[in-house]
This record gives sequence, structure tokens and C-alpha cells, in this order.
Amino acid sequence: MRIAVAMKPVPDLLQIRMKDRRPVLEDVPVVLGAIDRSALEIAVELKEKTSGHIVVLMAGDGRLEDTVKEALAAGADEALLIRDARLNGADGSLSAHALAAGVRKIGPVDLLLFGEGSTDNYSGQVMSRVSEILGIPQAGYVRDIVVEGETLIVTRSLEDEEEILEIRPPAAFSVLSEIREPRIPSVTAILKARKKPATVLSLDELGVGTGSGAGVETVSTLAPMTGRKGERIPSLEELVRVLRKEAPGGGA
Amino acid sequence: MDFQLTKEEQLIQGAAREFAEKEIGPAVEEIVSSNRVPEEILAGLRELDLFALPVPEVYGGAEAGYVCYILAMEQIARVCPGVAVILSVNNLAAAAVNIFGTEEQKKRYIPQGTRGDTAFSFAFTEPGTGSDPKQLAATAKKDGDHYVLNGTKRFITNSSYRGPIIVFARETETDQVNAFILDKFCEGYSVSEPWNKMGVKGAPLHDVYLRDVRIPAENVLGGLGKGFWILKVAMALGKIGISSIFLGAMLAAYEDGLRYAVEKTHRGEPIAKFQAIQMAVADMFMKYESCRWMTYRLGSLAERAKDKGDILKDSAATKIFVTETAVDVARISMGIHGSYGVMEDYRISRLWKDVIFGPQVEGVSHLLKVLVAGEILRK
Amino acid sequence: MTEFLAVAWKAGEVPELLGAAGTLGGGDETALLFLGGDEEARQAAARWGALHRIPGIETRLADTGSVAGALAGAQKALFAPVVLLPSTRRGKETAGRLAQILGAGVLTDVHRMERGEGGAICCHRYALGGAAVSVQRIGTAVQVIALDPGSFEAAPERGPGPVNELSVPLPEGSVVLREARPRVRDTVDIAAADCLVAVGLGLDRKEDLALVERLARAVGGEIACSKPVATDRKWLPEDRIIGLSGKKCRPALAVLLGISGQVQFTVGIRDAKTILSVNTDENAAIMTLSDYVFIADLREILPELAGKMDAGPG
Ligand SMILES: Cc1cc2nc3c(=O)[nH]c(=O)nc-3n(C[C@H](O)[C@H](O)[C@H](O)COP(=O)(O)OP(=O)(O)OC[C@H]3O[C@@H](n4cnc5c(N)ncnc54)[C@H](O)[C@@H]3O)c2cc1C
Ligand SMILES: Cc1cc2nc3c(=O)[nH]c(=O)nc-3n(C[C@H](O)[C@H](O)[C@H](O)COP(=O)(O)OP(=O)(O)OC[C@H]3O[C@@H](n4cnc5c(N)ncnc54)[C@H](O)[C@@H]3O)c2cc1C
Repeated sequence: MRIAVAMKPVPDLLQIRMKDRRPVLEDVPVVLGAIDRSALEIAVELKEKTSGHIVVLMAGDGRLEDTVKEALAAGADEALLIRDARLNGADGSLSAHALAAGVRKIGPVDLLLFGEGSTDNYSGQVMSRVSEILGIPQAGYVRDIVVEGETLIVTRSLEDEEEILEIRPPAAFSVLSEIREPRIPSVTAILKARKKPATVLSLDELGVGTGSGAGVETVSTLAPMTGRKGERIPSLEELVRVLRKEAPGGGA
Repeated sequence: MDFQLTKEEQLIQGAAREFAEKEIGPAVEEIVSSNRVPEEILAGLRELDLFALPVPEVYGGAEAGYVCYILAMEQIARVCPGVAVILSVNNLAAAAVNIFGTEEQKKRYIPQGTRGDTAFSFAFTEPGTGSDPKQLAATAKKDGDHYVLNGTKRFITNSSYRGPIIVFARETETDQVNAFILDKFCEGYSVSEPWNKMGVKGAPLHDVYLRDVRIPAENVLGGLGKGFWILKVAMALGKIGISSIFLGAMLAAYEDGLRYAVEKTHRGEPIAKFQAIQMAVADMFMKYESCRWMTYRLGSLAERAKDKGDILKDSAATKIFVTETAVDVARISMGIHGSYGVMEDYRISRLWKDVIFGPQVEGVSHLLKVLVAGEILRK
Repeated sequence: MTEFLAVAWKAGEVPELLGAAGTLGGGDETALLFLGGDEEARQAAARWGALHRIPGIETRLADTGSVAGALAGAQKALFAPVVLLPSTRRGKETAGRLAQILGAGVLTDVHRMERGEGGAICCHRYALGGAAVSVQRIGTAVQVIALDPGSFEAAPERGPGPVNELSVPLPEGSVVLREARPRVRDTVDIAAADCLVAVGLGLDRKEDLALVERLARAVGGEIACSKPVATDRKWLPEDRIIGLSGKKCRPALAVLLGISGQVQFTVGIRDAKTILSVNTDENAAIMTLSDYVFIADLREILPELAGKMDAGPG
């Protein structure tokens, strides 16, 4: 089975500071999204069961060669990096066109995997857009994938129900982080990742035109005002008093 | 010069850190109280190739450089120094076999240090000496195409695990020191009850008794009379492991001190507001940073040295400085903790008992200083 | 002609979608398209006025490609430039595909909307894992907006209206639904609770949950948790998770026990009226988000606290 996993380079959220309510993104290391790592893990499992092949697709504007090494160490076989200044802060539509063009470039794939949402933006629309562009069936919020002959049996986990779906490849899925716990790569795997092929292409080289963005414009991004006073409670007695005062029902 | 880790180095450091925090961290209490490392943890470390970083892949190693080795060991020791001691001895002995062994020996022994449930030991110390190779008393008597070994080896790490052991012994006829490689628990091999050490819990430590252990002559490592040379190289490499372990313990002590300084309050303010505490924080930082770069540089020296024995001076100097400084940093951190620091509930009390091992093992500090000075003055 | 087309899968989603359209001036003429299957649900939805349906779609709901295709047809038939959906998992998955078909921009998880310059719709949503709020505008002629459930006022009932069957093509799909099974769920909905007592990884003994339960009972609250308490430790069911991948809650009082306050958590509790945190770390991020903080070790204080609260105000 040929599997493509779309992995988004995201700023390491733990290292973002706020200055005047604005996020400071300079010098923040770029890492793989947490949920994308789980998507790669199920891909590796399916690859091992079906003697398959995994290509990582990554679209962004930074130094993707370094970021993708973690994915190559964790079991991907090769990478297609789509690097373009236009992808800086791109909306989901442009990313989707870039990724769909990437899938076409690497040739037929049976399975296209995504995280259910990126750790930074969490808009969860890229998988759906790519599926439409490629004209393939999709399932979101997948908790498990099993291969049954020619068919994929996937469990989609919604708020109040779970659906067991039968889908024939090629198909695209977005997975939940609980689908698999991402492995810790071994030293050998990390060092070997250096030798795995990673191709870099620009949007022009992939034939993604300038009209592909869907014009979502960001007016502002600010940390919310909290306006909470953080009053220190000095003693357990005082804590009990505050709890009684603030409890909506008056606290027993 | 570029004081930046490569992406691979960052990933290896990150992998070791993630494993240490996720898998070893929750087991530390158990490791310390039972003085035993659970088999799943050792298996996990083997999976990650941390048992044999600097040996070639054909023998099951990771073929990684010494900087990677240091970064990984530091992260493991930060969470549990005892676990790192097991790795350090195994890596050192596997590297020695790789450098000095015949092809046969490498094929037969190195994989036992990387896979399965076996681990290397390295036996030099004896009841009579731990610092002076000239005093070695264990004997090897030639008997046809075999040697017969006798003697007691003291404080031998990993000696209760199955796997290969490198033994230094004096050949009775020629009086020269040879290194031998053999399987533990062969006929005539036995170990004492475990030593009841105060810290670095988890790493097994026993005396080894060799009673008429008969081994073929081809089990000599590196050729006849090469014992001191092998020892010199092994000492140089072993000190890389020891330096990384106590660098990691130092980092843990530093982090604990820092955390306590900002968490503990006095009249509603964190004690970090006091200048005395600030001095302590700055001292810990300076000490850790200087040791860190000294150790990383040692790794880079080791990677470039053709004869690893050539780095002995730097290796010994780094080992002395880092292990002594780790004791200093633990003391400073302890000071920040006040009386809480001597309560078993606080990790610093455990680290205190760990860091003191540094200056005492693999050559005591003042003897190593004599060695370092000798090398400098020889020129 | 109407500006808004509201699409709902469940009757319960209707009032908020219409309410949200209402705040932007979309009144009674907002078109409502109901995808839900059974007659009862349809009648419930019809209490908010006229509704459209696409015959046969209710058997295809698992196939997002078909649904999105049919919705695109409906959008064109009704000439509504702004499509509103609930930002549920189903809604979000559909929104992306629908937007792609329509050449539209899409925003999901929108928790507030207002009119900006030239009447443009400004959408507020969390960014950077919840650390910041972005205000965004869609520039395309057709817009798809998925609204965060629980964030908008419900519209009053409009009284029963007629059901109109839209004749739009329902594209052939290839996703087969083998089985749908309800998730075993808690009866408690923490998103609707007035008071929550939430535990994080700082509560490190499972047996202490009993004390937390006593405390919750005493303040009249429900138990909730940070994500790892449910997903890693599995001490509480997943519908008790507060946050980005859990529920966005807005209780009058939230008592947070041993929760560090990482952004993915705080997006779910930020709108509480009062937040009280207990933590050993006075530098924990949650401190700046709390009205009250008590620096203490849960292991030490919980027994006494539960005891004192049980005892009542006397
Ligand atoms: C946890 C742990 C693990 C260990 N693992 C191993 C292992 O795997 N393999 C192994 O071989 N050993 C191992 N050891 C032993 C350790 O390396 C030695 O104990 C150490 O090198 C010191 O040797 P010693 O205790 O015999 O001290 P000695 O050599 O007896 O020295 C004691 C003191 O005598 C004085 N002294 C000795 N010789 C001289 C001299 N020539 N000139 C001046 N003063 C002198 C010094 O003041 C020195 O401090 C381990 C020890 C520990 C605690
Ligand atoms: C895409 C994504 C989505 C996510 N979604 C969610 C989500 O919806 N909800 C969510 O919660 N998380 C979510 N997370 C995870 C989130 O990033 C954090 O890992 C999680 O919120 C941390 O939980 P915690 O605060 O309980 O644990 P920790 O961060 O470990 O904090 C424990 C706290 O307890 C304190 N403490 C420790 N011991 C004691 C004691 N004895 N007494 C008192 N206090 C003590 C500590 O000081 C610390 O502040 C998500 C992550 C990602 C990547």
C-alpha cells in the first residue's frame, strides 16, 4: 500500500511568548504537529502489514529539510517538501492545493493521512479540501484503520456516535491523536533518516497558480485579555469561605 | 566554530529525553527502592540503540558519534543516573571490543551488548587496587592452547547480567598484563552479594570471583601484552560516559534548585527574590554551562581521535571537573532547599547521594590530576 | 433571496445557528436546511419555521463527499452566499469539502461574529492552540462558516413552518456505513454545568478522586478534567475533558485542581465567570487566568478541605 502522510510544520507551542498580547514567533523552533505524529504512526503500522511505502508531504516556507527528519526517523521512507514563500501563513485552501499537487506528483497513492487538526490552527479543513480536489472519498476523526482485503475499515468517532465505514482506496482520512501513540525513534533510525530522499519543490514547479488561495484574511491575532486578579488565598479556612461564597448554589 | 547541535543530535537528545521522562521517570522510585532496573526499561533502551551507540551497525550498534552518545546519556542520567551507569559500562566495553577485537570476537561478542537481555562488564578493579594497574593481582596461567584465570575483581558493574566480560589479568609466565574476553557465568565464574551502595541505585554492582576459569587462547583481546594500552583507551572512553552521567545529574540538581527558588515563598514572595538565592541560581547556571560545553567538546575530540588513548588527558580533566562540579551544584541546590532538601521526599536528597559517586569512580580525582599534570608537563 | 443558509444535522443545532444569523441581521428569511433523518427530529427542527430538506440524504450522511456535493447544489439553488454550519466534527469535515466545491473560503470553530467595514463578517476564533484569538474575514463571494456549539444565543422559536423538498442532485458515493453505534456517554454534560471541579495531572493518586467528588458535591458542581487525566490515565471518561479537543465550558465557578493551564486546556474554561486554582506551582500558567489562587499540595489539603466543605456552613 502506498501511503502519503501530510505533516504540518508548526511552531513549538510551548516556546511561544506573548509580547503586548502579540505572539512572538521569531526563533521559535518548528516541530511536527502532535496529531500528525500519530497519523504517521498508524501509517507505519499499515506499511509494515502491507509491505507498503510512506511519503511525507510537508508544505511551508521555512527550512523543512530539518523538520522532516523527525518523520523520516519515525518510519517514513521519503519526503516531498513543498517550499514557497507564498505558503507563509497560507490559508487552508492554498495548503490544500499544494498538497493535492504534491500527491499527484508522487504518483498514485492508496491512502492519504492527515491529523484531525494542526496543533497551531486546528481548522481541520485541509483533508476535506484535498479529497475534493483529488475527487476521492474521505473520513474525518478516524480512531482506527484496519485493512480487510481490498477494503479499508475505518472507525470514525463523532461526538455521540461511532461509525464503522468501508472505503475502497484511494481515500483520505484525518485521524485522532488517540489512534496510535507515536513512537520514539531509535538512534539508528535517526541517523539513517539522513540518507532518505527528500525532494524540494516550489508551488510554481508543482503548477499551483496564484489564484489558489481562498482569500481568508486575518485582521488581527491577539492574546485574549484575561482581566483576572489572581487573588492569593492565604489559608484553608479562607479557601472554604471563598468556595462557599462563589459556588452558584451557595455551597451546601 | 559553531556551538549548535545538528538536527540529528537534537533528535537523539529529544528521543532520550522523551524515553527517560515517559518510561524511566515513573519507575525511579521503584528502581531506587529495589536497586533494580525493570527489564522493560532495559529492553526499551536497547530498542532505541542506547546500549551501543559508538559501534558499527553490522554488529548491532548505531554507529553514532560520541557527541550523540553524550547527549543521550545526559538525558537518561538527568532522570536516573543508575540506569545511565549500566549503559556507560556497556558502551565502553563494546567500543573496546570493536577497537581491539578480532573479527571473530566482534561478531561473537558485540551483538551481546546490543540485543537480547545481555550486557557487557569491564573488570579491572581489584580489592588491592582501583587506580594502579601495576598492582594487578588476578592471574592468567597458560595451559596448552588455553588460559586459566584466577582472582577477585571488585565493584564490577553489570556483573550479575549475562553477557561478555573483559577481564584484566597478569600472565604468570611473562608477568605482562593482558585483557581477556569471556562469557560471564561460564564455569568458575561467580559473583558476590550486591554491594549496598548509597546512590546510583539500579546499576548492579558485585565482586566477581574467577576460580580456574578455562578459556581458549584466542580470547585474548588486542594481542598479548597489550593490556595497559587497552586500559588506557578504555579509561579515556569510559570517562566520556562518566562525565555525561554526572552532567545529567548536575542538570537535575540545577533544575530542582531553580524550581524550588521560584516555588517556595517567604512572606508571600518567591525566595528567588532574595539576592542570595539569585547568586546561587547564577552559580548553578555558570557551572552547568561550563561543564556542558567541556563535555560536548570531549565528545567531538573523541570522534576525531584516531587513537582514542590520545584524549586521555582531556578525558580525565573533563571527568574531574564535571564530577567535582556536580557535587558543588548539588550542594548549592541543597542550600536553596533548606531543610526540605534533606528530606527523602525531595529529589535533591537522592541526587546528593548520586553525585558523590562521580569523583570516586573510574579513578579518584586527585590521582587523575596527577595523570593530567604528567601529560601537560611531559611536553 | 436570503444571505444565510443554515445547515443542521440535529434539531438541537438549529436554534444557535439561527441565533447567530440573527445577530448579523439575518432574520426570519434565513434559510434552514435540515439533514436529519427521522420525522420526529424534523418536526422538532420545524418549530423554528420553514425548512428545506434533500430527500434521501439522511441515508448518506456518513459520506461527506456526497453530502457536500448536495449542499453545494442547495446553496446554488437558494442563492445564499453565507453557509452556516455547526462546528461539530461532522460539520467541520463537511465545511472543508463544501468550501472547496464552491470555491469559497471557510472558517471553523468560530465563537463570535460581527459586522465590520462594508458589512464584512468578522469571525473570531482561537489560534496558536488557543494562546491567541484571531479575527478573520473571508474574501470570497461565497463563505462557509462553522460555528462553535455553545457560543451563540439561541433564536426563539419561529413557529412551525412548511417543509420544502429541494431537488438537487445527490452525488453517488463510495463510502459504505457498515455500522453506527452510539458512544457510551456520560449523562452529565460539563459544557452545560454551572459549576465544575476539574482535576489535572497534579492529582496523582486515583483514590483521591473520591475526595474530589465530595468536594464537587459540596459546591454543587460536576467533575471535569484536563485531557491527559482521561486519555492517558483513563481515570475519567473523555466527555469530561475541558479544552480544545474537549468541551468549551462556561460555568459560574470553575475549581481547577492541579492543572497547569496550557493553552489547549484554557480555551475551554476561559469563559468561566470565576476561576479558582489550587496548585503547588505559583508560576503555573493557570495563575494568570485565575480569580483566586491557593498554593498548596493537593495530597495534603484535600482530606481536610473535603471534610470542612461537607460539614456545611455552620
Ligand atoms: C558504582 C561503581 C561502579 C564501578 N564499576 C566498576 C567496573 O565496572 N569495573 C571496574 O574495574 N571498576 C569499577 N568500579 C571501581 C572504581 O573504578 C574504583 O573503585 C576507583 O577507580 C577507585 O579505586 P579504589 O577504590 O581501589 O581506590 P584506590 O586505588 O585504592 O585508591 C584509594 C586512595 O588511595 C590513594 N592511592 C592509591 N594509589 C595511589 C598512588 N599510586 N599514588 C598516590 N595515592 C594513591 C589515593 O588517595 C586514593 O584516593 C566501580 C566503582 C563504583 C563505586
Ligand atoms: C492538539 C492538542 C489538543 C489538546 N487538547 C486538550 C484539551 O482539550 N484539554 C486539555 O486539558 N489538554 C489538551 N491538550 C493537552 C495540553 O497541551 C496539556 O498537555 C494538558 O492540558 C496538561 O494537563 P494538566 O494541566 O492536567 O497537566 P500538567 O501540565 O502536567 O500540570 C499539572 C499541574 O499540577 C500541579 N501539581 C503537581 N502536583 C501537585 C500537587 N500535589 N498539588 C497541587 N498541584 C500539583 C503542577 O504544578 C502542574 O501545574 C491538547 C494538546 C494538543 C497537542
